[in-house]
Amino acid sequence: MGLSELMLQLARFTLIRALLAIFTLIIVSFIVFTLMEMVPGDCAERYLAFKNTQGSGISVADIDAERVRLGLDQPYLQRWFSWIINAFQGEFGDSCILRVNISQLLGQKFWFSLGLCLAALLLAYAIAIPVGILAATSKNAILNNSLRLVSYLGLALPNFLLALMIMLFSTVYFGDSLTGLFSKEYRDAPWSVDRLLDFLGHAWLPIFILGWSATAFAIQTVRALMSDEIGKLYVTAAAARGVSGRHLLMRYPARHALSPIINSLGFDLNRIFNELPIVALILTLTEAGALLIDALARSNDQQLAGAIIFLLTASIVAINFVTDIFLALTDPRVRRSIVG
Amino acid sequence: MTDLAVNVDQKVKEAYFTASQGQLIWQRFKRNKSALAGAWVLIILVLSGIFAPFLTPYDPTIAGRDKSYQNGAPQIPSFCDDNGCSIRPFIYTYERTRSIKTNFRWVTEEDASLEGRRYVQFFNQGTEYNYFKFYLDFPGKAADINFKGFNFTTHLFGVDKGMIHIFGTDSAGKDIYSRTLTAINTSMAVGTIGVLIAFVLALVIGGIAGYYGGWIDSLLQMITDAVRTIPSIPLFMALAAFIPDVWSAEARFFFISMVLGLIGWPTLARRIRTHLLTERNQEYVLAAQLCGASPAHVIRRHLLPSFTSYIIVDLVISFPYMVLSETALSFIGLGLKEPVNSLGVMLQNVTSADVLLNYQWYFIPVIFFIVLVLAFVFVGDGLRDAADPYADTNK
Repeated sequence: MGLSELMLQLARFTLIRALLAIFTLIIVSFIVFTLMEMVPGDCAERYLAFKNTQGSGISVADIDAERVRLGLDQPYLQRWFSWIINAFQGEFGDSCILRVNISQLLGQKFWFSLGLCLAALLLAYAIAIPVGILAATSKNAILNNSLRLVSYLGLALPNFLLALMIMLFSTVYFGDSLTGLFSKEYRDAPWSVDRLLDFLGHAWLPIFILGWSATAFAIQTVRALMSDEIGKLYVTAAAARGVSGRHLLMRYPARHALSPIINSLGFDLNRIFNELPIVALILTLTEAGALLIDALARSNDQQLAGAIIFLLTASIVAINFVTDIFLALTDPRVRRSIVG
Repeated sequence: MTDLAVNVDQKVKEAYFTASQGQLIWQRFKRNKSALAGAWVLIILVLSGIFAPFLTPYDPTIAGRDKSYQNGAPQIPSFCDDNGCSIRPFIYTYERTRSIKTNFRWVTEEDASLEGRRYVQFFNQGTEYNYFKFYLDFPGKAADINFKGFNFTTHLFGVDKGMIHIFGTDSAGKDIYSRTLTAINTSMAVGTIGVLIAFVLALVIGGIAGYYGGWIDSLLQMITDAVRTIPSIPLFMALAAFIPDVWSAEARFFFISMVLGLIGWPTLARRIRTHLLTERNQEYVLAAQLCGASPAHVIRRHLLPSFTSYIIVDLVISFPYMVLSETALSFIGLGLKEPVNSLGVMLQNVTSADVLLNYQWYFIPVIFFIVLVLAFVFVGDGLRDAADPYADTNK
C-alpha cells in the first residue's frame, strides 16, 4: 500500500471519529442540560432567593425581570442550542450564585484536577502492565493469589475508604494525616523548584489513591489478556523458531494485548473522575476536586455543575478520540474498519 | 461388580444430560469453594440485617441513645477480673465525669468494683420493634389498608442495668453495633431498588436495540455510549444536591435509589442487546420458527432461557456498585441523611483529627461493608463461571 493511500485512509478514519466524538458530546450536552433544567427552581429564583437572605425584599416581578435578563424566558431548545454553541467555545456563561464567569472560575483548577487524574491513570498503568504480565507468565501460586486478592480489594475497598484507612493509620502511627497538596509555607508561594518538590512530596499519595481502583482493575485486565494471548498458536510458532524469554513476550503477545488496554483508557479515566470529588474532600485537596463539591453541594449552582460535568465528559471523549487515532496508526485492522 | 460400576456410571451420565439448567449451574457453583463461602457470608449478613431489631439491643436512631456514654469505646464482656470470675459475662459501669483533675474534658471512668459489674443477659426484654407493618392510605377511611404487624420486645442480649455497647457509641451516644446491622438493611434496599430500575430500563432499551437491530440499534447504542461516558458520581452529586431540604428521609431514600438505577443501566443494556443479537440468529431459533412457533413462544421458551442466567449474574455483579455509590454519596452528605442509617451516613464526620486520634471504633462498620461487597463479588464471579455452559468443556 502506498503512503498516500495510507494517509487518505487515516484521514478518513480521523474525520469519522471526530464527527462521532462531536455527536457524543452533543448528546451528552443535551442530557446534562435537560437534567439541569429539571431540578426545581431556576437561576433567577436561586439568585434572588440568595439576595433575599441578604436582606433585600424580592417580589414575583423581580424574578420575572431577572428571568428576562438571563434569557430564561426563551424556549428550551433555543437555550440549549446557544448553551452548546458556547460550550464548544469553552464559554459557559456566569455562575448562578457567585456571578463570576465560569471559565475564569474553573480555569486553572480544572486543568489541575485533570492533571492529577491523568497522573493517576499513568501510575495505574505503570504499575499494572509489568505486574499483569508477570502474573500471567508466572506459575507462582502465592503471587497469583495475592494479586487476585488485591484486585478484589480494588472493588471492595473503594478509593475513598482506602483514603480514610490510610489517614487513620498515618494519624495513629505517624501523627500526620497526610492531607493537602502543599506544606503551609508553600501554599500561596509562586511556583519554584522548592515548591515543585514540596508538591511532589505531597501529591504521590492522592495520585496513588485516585488510581487505586483503576490499578486493581487494570492488573486484572492485563493478566487476562496476556494469558489469552500466550496460549495462542503464533506464540508457540515463534517459540519453535527459537525466540524466547522477554523478547518473545514483548514482540508477540504483549503487542497484541496492548490495543484492548489502550482502548479502555477512556473508561479508566471515567472511573478516576468518579473518585476525584470524594477523595479530594477527604484529603482536603482544595486546589482540585473540592470545587466540584462546592459547586454541587453547597451552592446549588446549576450553571457551574453543568459546566463541570460537561468538561469532565469532554475530556473522556477527547481521550477516547486520541486513543482511537493512536490505535489506527499502529493497527491496520482498526484503520480499515470505519465505525466499529 | 463391573455391571454395577457401569450402571452407576450410566446413572451419573443420565443425571447430567437430563439435569435442568438450574441444576447444572448449582452443581458447578458448589464446586467453587470461594464462591460458596461468599454465598454463606452473604446469607448470614443479609439475615442479620433482616433480624437486626432482634439481634441488636437498642434502637439505632437517636431514640436509643445512651446519654451517659457518648463517644464511648467498645465494651468487651469478660468473665474474670481481680474480683474473681463469673459464669455470666459482664462489663463494667462507665461514668462520664469532668472536673479540674481532667482539665474539664469529658473522660470516661470505669467502676471496676463488684457492684459496678453489669451482667450480660440473653433474650431479655427491651425496646419494642415491629415486623410486617403495612399501611396504605386510600381516599375514604374505610378503604385504608392498615395491618398493624407484630410487635416484639425480646432482644438477643442486653445487660441487667444500664446499657451495653460492644462496638462503642458515636458522638450522640447511639450504639454503633445496632446502627451497623441496620445499615446493612439500608444498603441492601438501596441496591435492590437501584438494580431493579436499572434492570427494567436495560431490558427495555437493550431489548429494543437487540430485537430490531439496524439503525434503531445504532442510534440507541450511540445514546447508551454517551450516557456511559458521563462520570456517574459527579452527575449523581449534581442531581442529589438539588433535593429540597424539606424532603423526609424516606423520600430522599427513594429518590437516591431511583437515581442510582437511572444512571446504572447502560452497561446492562449493552450486554442484553449483545445477547439478543447473537441469540436471535442461532439455528435453534430458526428451527423453532420453521416449526411454526409464534414470536412470543420463541421469546418465552427459547430466547429468554438462553440468557436469564447471564442477566442474573449481571444483576449480582452490579449490586455492589450501587451499594458503594450510595455509601460514597451519603459520606459526602449528598445521599441519605439521619435518621436513615447507612455506612455512608455513619462515616460522615470521621475525617476530623479528633475522631482519627481518639475514636477509632467509628471505623468498625467499614469491616462489615468490605466483607459484604467482597461476598457479593465472590458470589457474582462464581455465578458467572457456573452459568457459562462451556466452562466444563474448556478445561
